[in-house]
Amino acid sequence: MTVPGKSFFFAGALVALSAGWIAFPRALYRSQPQPVNFNHKIHADKAGAKCEDCHAFRDDGTYAGLPALDKCSGCHSAAMGTTAEEKNFIERYVTPGREPQWLSYARQPENVYFSHITHVKLASIGCEKCHGAEGASASLRPFQQDRISGYSRDVMAEMKMDDCVSCHRRQGLEHSCLDCHK
Amino acid sequence: MTTTRRNVFKFMGGSAAGALLTPAPWRIVTDSALWSENWPGIPRPARGEIRTRFTNCSLCAAGCPVRARCVGAQPVSLAGVGAGLCPAGVAGHHFPYHPSRLKEGPVKEAAAAAAAAISRLGPNELVAVLDLRPGRTVSWTYRRALSMLRNGVYLAPPQPPVAVDLARVKTVLSLGVPLLESWGTPASVLAARARFRLIQAEPVQSRTAILADTWIPTEPGRELALASSMLAGLREDGPALILDPAMSPAVLELNHELGAPVFLRPEAPIPAAWRKAAPVADLSAIPDRSVRVLLIDEAGGYFAWPAIEKKLVRDNPLVIAFAWSREGYGRHVKYALPTAVYPETMDDLPGAIDSVTAAFRLSVPLLAPPPGVVDPAAFLAHLVGFDPGDPLRERANAIHQLGRGAIQSKPVKEMTADAFWSSLTAAAPWLDAADRAPRLPNAPTTPPLEPSLQPAGLPLTVVLTPAPRSSPLLSKIYAESNLRLAPRQAALHPSSAAGLADRSRAMLQTLDASVEIQLVLDPAIPPGMVQVGWSPAILDACATSARAKVVPL
Repeated sequence: MTVPGKSFFFAGALVALSAGWIAFPRALYRSQPQPVNFNHKIHADKAGAKCEDCHAFRDDGTYAGLPALDKCSGCHSAAMGTTAEEKNFIERYVTPGREPQWLSYARQPENVYFSHITHVKLASIGCEKCHGAEGASASLRPFQQDRISGYSRDVMAEMKMDDCVSCHRRQGLEHSCLDCHK
Repeated sequence: MTTTRRNVFKFMGGSAAGALLTPAPWRIVTDSALWSENWPGIPRPARGEIRTRFTNCSLCAAGCPVRARCVGAQPVSLAGVGAGLCPAGVAGHHFPYHPSRLKEGPVKEAAAAAAAAISRLGPNELVAVLDLRPGRTVSWTYRRALSMLRNGVYLAPPQPPVAVDLARVKTVLSLGVPLLESWGTPASVLAARARFRLIQAEPVQSRTAILADTWIPTEPGRELALASSMLAGLREDGPALILDPAMSPAVLELNHELGAPVFLRPEAPIPAAWRKAAPVADLSAIPDRSVRVLLIDEAGGYFAWPAIEKKLVRDNPLVIAFAWSREGYGRHVKYALPTAVYPETMDDLPGAIDSVTAAFRLSVPLLAPPPGVVDPAAFLAHLVGFDPGDPLRERANAIHQLGRGAIQSKPVKEMTADAFWSSLTAAAPWLDAADRAPRLPNAPTTPPLEPSLQPAGLPLTVVLTPAPRSSPLLSKIYAESNLRLAPRQAALHPSSAAGLADRSRAMLQTLDASVEIQLVLDPAIPPGMVQVGWSPAILDACATSARAKVVPL
């Protein structure tokens, strides 16, 4: 049986396309579970918590980011419900006073200055505009880190400089490089 | 089916073409670029709560008030309060990370060696502390500790005994004083500058001379004669003031004739019990070859080593230097022990030469020192079995008990001792009542100086540049630019270079030492002179020798 020469070319292309579109993205990201399977939805629904209750601004206007254990301990010094996640959280973190090592999906690289208060308070942009529907999720996704660059997959997907620039252009806001890269 | 080499190449070509239609190659390019932004060596900015803290800069006698922007506990930028800071002060928080920083040393071994040497002290041998920043509270602790030793001597480099009030003069004759570079309190000097006429007399046109109203080129050693000849003119343009670097008795005498605003240098009050402390002695006043144990506190600068060395006993003297950097006496001494550096230190700041009012201000630490550093006063106190207590607090209490002066416009009388101490530790300065500065009594008449003998074979007169106060960043900028003479550079007029090329290496030879230098040929330097950049090695060679020669390597 003779196989036409073009078949080898297309077979090679097919193998490369499969590897590039299916295998490469899986190999590129290292997946790590969060230390605690936090349920945003139950906190929002049952406790009536808003984003800013835990992801707060300091008195000077700087953004405190992920809440520290003290914030959680205020309510969860003892179990409030019956879930295994809460029991695990209290035993592993609250009782020994150990900070959970949260993995931030949205941490920008060090060369970027981003002011939360400017966007949230001054421009009245909702958290979900950049962070998606994280506040309504019942569990935390694994944190996916790019093996080469070290950046979070979320940052690479929807929080790149191009995304900032295009949003600012839509709003008619043109800024200099030094506004973000101080 | 046969697989030929041609088919393998076709497969590889197809793979390459297919790969270009996937995100893989493009993503690898992007990610590699991003990875390069984060490779080791890229500075990581501190993260945390932004706070503002206050202190007083202790890099020089000016003691400028400082506002520090801190991220968490880490100071990230410094600025002046009410006035600017000098370039060294702005980068003051870099000093703890200086490449030459001393962080550890043989502390126990040095303490044991010092204790053994003191126990074997001969009848005419001395234990001395050389304090290169006298007038601080810790200086009093040294003196109190030394008073407990039979042969304890407290040594300090000569300090100008006076303070001057630039705000009250219309004419200033400066005899080589770097008035507009690194003298007094820069912010006060610059604030007063518009109100006085500045005449700068010195051999080489310095930056102060460039900014002066008049520059009078002089021969080294002829400045005093020039000042005497100008006395009548200065009196007409008065009130006038004559300055020289040491405020020597002869200059004080001329100032007295002019009625210049020169005052005895004020000092903040001390507890009465401290008055029994050892007196201050001048290094030149103690006998040669008499010091068995010498502790050097390098807090405020550098004193030429040859002058120290000749005071040490010949057989196995013990010299311990307390230094934050290995660039000072570490080259000469047996033990160099690490100390804290600004802004890690809790220390008080004696007033600068242009402060006519007594003040007490603290340099409050913004950073914790590394674990291996030593407190020199605690080292000495432990050595002599003396408990110094909390001297800064004791002195603050003594000031409070007197009830004089004010802190941030609030009279001390109206404050409790705790509130007074809290204000001091928040870096607020205590200022004595403004009318308390005593006028200088009649200056003693001094005999005219004998002209010094010029050693044969040393044709050049040495002109030292002022000691720089440079952060690591500024040291690099100075070394790589022509902003000022870098350490170990020497500038000569081309006619004095004797055929040596610009930027060539050469030896600077004086009666005391030889130092390798880089030569800079500069037509602005008068023939017959050599201007040298400041460094400890240069000071060792030139501090006591005014003549030198430059020879090829």
